[in-house]
Amino acid sequence: MKGVSTQKKSTGYQRVVLKNSAPVLENESTRLSAVEFKQFIITGLKILYGEVGAALTFDVLKYDEDSRTAFLRVPSRGLVKLWSSLTLLGSYQDQACAFRILQVSPFLLALTGNSRELQLD
Amino acid sequence: MSVFMDLNLSYTEDKSSLQRLIETAAQLGYSTVAINYTFELTKKKKEVPKPAQIKELFEQLPIVQGRSRPIRVLNRLTVVMSESSHFRSTAPEYRHFDILALQPTSEKLFHAACMTYDVDIICVIVTEKLPFHFKRGSVNGAIDRGVMFEISYAAAIRDSTMRRYTIANAVNLVERSKGKGMIISSAAERALELRGPYDITNLALLFGLTDQTAKEAVSSTCHSVVRHAETRRTGSGIVCTTKVCTETSDQQGAPVDADTCEAPAAKKHKTAASEGVTAEEGGAKATSAL
Repeated sequence: MKGVSTQKKSTGYQRVVLKNSAPVLENESTRLSAVEFKQFIITGLKILYGEVGAALTFDVLKYDEDSRTAFLRVPSRGLVKLWSSLTLLGSYQDQACAFRILQVSPFLLALTGNSRELQLD
Repeated sequence: MSVFMDLNLSYTEDKSSLQRLIETAAQLGYSTVAINYTFELTKKKKEVPKPAQIKELFEQLPIVQGRSRPIRVLNRLTVVMSESSHFRSTAPEYRHFDILALQPTSEKLFHAACMTYDVDIICVIVTEKLPFHFKRGSVNGAIDRGVMFEISYAAAIRDSTMRRYTIANAVNLVERSKGKGMIISSAAERALELRGPYDITNLALLFGLTDQTAKEAVSSTCHSVVRHAETRRTGSGIVCTTKVCTETSDQQGAPVDADTCEAPAAKKHKTAASEGVTAEEGGAKATSAL
């Protein structure tokens, strides 16, 4: 958790998200660049859906190499395809791996809060 | 928010990997998991396995993500049946397990499992081409009795040939059952083969399930299975007592029993009471049966 800056002049807001992370890669020290990451996802699409599936356009809006977290943008009709291919991707370069979908939303702004974690009682 | 369950985590001798498996399941948001022991009689002189004590694995059970409640761990036995003599419904060894599953390997046994055997889950083979076709009569019979069908997805992650079989067999089943009475579980041996519940609901769309049945396959149908298992073990019924929270008691002290308060009451008995046993009646019957 990062400390909130204590400058008095301007009020700053910081959103802090704490998640206990499930394992993602067998060998945690493996590093993936953004290009490799996207290529890996395309391979996954191709394995499950073939060339037509690999033609699905999606963007990696942001990718953080250290935490291996990314924002993916995909047209809503391609969501099920992309998501299921990510689910069924089980190995990266002969080591076990898993994709964890943290949040899904049709609106960018909605990613600031997760309605699934609201306690409604 | 619904309660997610994964009723099939493969048992491994290695304690640390089993611990990691359960911890990962808790992190992904599963409230209940079942450790699965497979029993196959064809291999000679094999005994029915004894379930491990959960207390030996964990001093304190891991907390489920987003629910601030410890995970609930059940034991489950899967009997692989290639002859009708392989399954003895009254065997005392079966009583150590919370959930009883059956994996029939021929059409005749599949029909028998659907119509007569007193089990909770019928496993659909996902590692090879289906040796028979599902008959609508058998499938409907099982659904009427409250016996659910299980598809496991870990094999689909491991190997692309298995993936083909998994999808093909699942689609086959969904065509017959219209998606009713289906649960999807992992059968994972390693933590990295586990997927989150929302991933599974999405994956289930590939099997031909609708949005609603897909979600039920990891939540309320699994709940029915657990309830069905409880009624089977107690003779004919169970009584659930749910603590009604009052406004005055806002202290969090008393830990609520794991299986109460988890889902709305309306959902609990939707399919669980398939044997036509209401809660109170069941209690009365259970005592008289004993």
